Amino acid sequence: MTTPLLEIKNLYAKVADKEIIKNLSLTINSGEVHAIMGPNGAGKSSLSYVLSGKEGYNVTSGSVKFKGQDLLSMSTEERARNGLFLSMQYPTEIPGVVVSNFLKQSLNSILKYRGEKELDTIAFMKHLKQEAAQLNISPEMLKRFVNVGFSGGEKKRFETLQMALLKPDFCILDEIDSGLDIDALKTVSDGVNSLRTKENAFLVITHYQRLLDHIEPDIVHIFADGHIIKSGNKNLATELEQSGYTDFLKEE
Amino acid sequence: MTQIPLLNNVKLYLDDKPSVYGLRQKAKQALEKTNYPTLKTEAWKYTNIKAILSGNFKINTQEHQCSCNCNCHHHDNSSQIDISFCNGKLHIEEYNLPKGLSITPLPEILYEGEYKQYIFNSFNLEEHPFAALNGVYLEQGVCIHAEKATKISQPIYIKYKQSNCSGNQINIHNLIILEKGAQLEIVELFNSENENKYLTNIVNEVYLKPDSQLHHYKKQTESTNSYHIALNSVRVQNHASYKQYYLANGAKICRQETNIQLEQTRAKAEIYSAYTAKKGCLNDITSNISHLQPETYSNQYAKAVLESDSSAVFQGKIHIAPLAVKTEGHQLHKALYLNDNAELNCKPELEIFADDVKCSHGASCGEIDKEQLFYLTSRGISKTEAIKTLTQAHLNEIIALIPNKEIQQELSL
Repeated sequence: MTTPLLEIKNLYAKVADKEIIKNLSLTINSGEVHAIMGPNGAGKSSLSYVLSGKEGYNVTSGSVKFKGQDLLSMSTEERARNGLFLSMQYPTEIPGVVVSNFLKQSLNSILKYRGEKELDTIAFMKHLKQEAAQLNISPEMLKRFVNVGFSGGEKKRFETLQMALLKPDFCILDEIDSGLDIDALKTVSDGVNSLRTKENAFLVITHYQRLLDHIEPDIVHIFADGHIIKSGNKNLATELEQSGYTDFLKEE
Repeated sequence: MTQIPLLNNVKLYLDDKPSVYGLRQKAKQALEKTNYPTLKTEAWKYTNIKAILSGNFKINTQEHQCSCNCNCHHHDNSSQIDISFCNGKLHIEEYNLPKGLSITPLPEILYEGEYKQYIFNSFNLEEHPFAALNGVYLEQGVCIHAEKATKISQPIYIKYKQSNCSGNQINIHNLIILEKGAQLEIVELFNSENENKYLTNIVNEVYLKPDSQLHHYKKQTESTNSYHIALNSVRVQNHASYKQYYLANGAKICRQETNIQLEQTRAKAEIYSAYTAKKGCLNDITSNISHLQPETYSNQYAKAVLESDSSAVFQGKIHIAPLAVKTEGHQLHKALYLNDNAELNCKPELEIFADDVKCSHGASCGEIDKEQLFYLTSRGISKTEAIKTLTQAHLNEIIALIPNKEIQQELSL
């Protein structure tokens, strides 16, 4: 049997003194797309921070294995270098750091860790411009400061560009549809779909079924009160959209 | 009489010429009268100079001019003009200068120059003990003069290279004079080739005649065992403009003082500073801007980075004289702490004696932003590298203001 890409077992986690993840178990294999849907405050974004190792999100018990390795003992940068990527709901603005310099530093950090050859500026810029063009990202945007003054659509396209460059094995998309108009949603979804392979996997966190029309999931999980209460195929999302979270949770 | 520190009994070039000797004596008398500041002196209350005074730094009397075999006088690059000081000694060389520009070694000015009247004419020796010390050893330096309406596109680089100066004090005194409508860019670069302990004590007197414009850049990256004291004393006339861009992360104790007199209507001054107080070091920026006439303008923006066990000082005085109506004076300082173990002293002083003026001052300090740090590390960048990047980003805001892109590249810390 092949090792699952991600294996979460009986996970509990806290922020400050508040328990946010309560007995969560989830297994994701390579080539799969999982969606997590749930009401506000259910702990969906917290899960993405726990998995990427953000300071302040403390695991109290349970285990997470990533490609068979203990994910929880790794630092944030080690998780990224091993192929985990979080596309953030609200990407942080970083004044004074130029987009292209940041991307080069990021990619080369990962290449170096993997023992691959780092790219020089010329080779990197050529590669960057090709990938950027695919996502309708103008060369002008690459000279700006990271996320500073970006529109909602630009921010999410920029997150997608990073995925395209870094080629992670596992991507968490935290509400990649928030702040997007219909056209931008299509660009970003097309971008994500073009990155799907048999080797990688996606965890799509969203409130709305609409996104799942664009990025089709293999499995949909309903997340409430810190854990998964129900899993099913993509029809579950449609069902949920019709009944709404409140009724759905009552029925359960 | 008590012995004044750092005064050596040495014979200087042109001591036998009474008018030159007289200037040096005038400086000496001022220093003897005031002695050095202590922590009780308001302008120096956060910068303890005991280590400098007890350093017993000697004047190097061996050569009046640099005679080393270094390559610093080699410049094939015709897009810039180079002046070099090696261990405090000026390289004498033939400059191939554009019309209207002259660069003269200080002794020639001292001997008999029409510009001699400008020496000690922009500040009061008794208020600046280190500038007085500098004056006692008046010998090394240049006079840069731009004739009326001369616009020079090539920047003038003054390179101060300290390689073999352990235990020395280096006193350099420059005059920068721009006649009516002249425009210049001057870049001062200070660096050490090793970790020597010495004192750099530099004075620039700047005179800007009506409608002239000076961009004055400085980068100081000297040994963190050395001490660096600098005074830029600037007089700005009608509608002239002085812009200073200052970057520094060197020296154990660094004090950059800028004195500006906006002495005629619509004179303008701007100072942009980005500086790092390294571990165990003190970095001090002090400014004193006098608005003496109506419609004058000044703006100061400084950004600091404080490493562990470091201190930074920012003192900014804006004085607005009773006559100086419709004047603007602004001042802002932003600091970034990399560690709790650092000290920042920020002291704005606004003395406003006129009505109808616009003035502002502000200061902020903070740590590395945790969200930004998470964003960078979640992209595979190590924590150490990410902190470096964010620190650089903090200072980049100032560096990005440098209008000349080549100089911007040169000055990046």
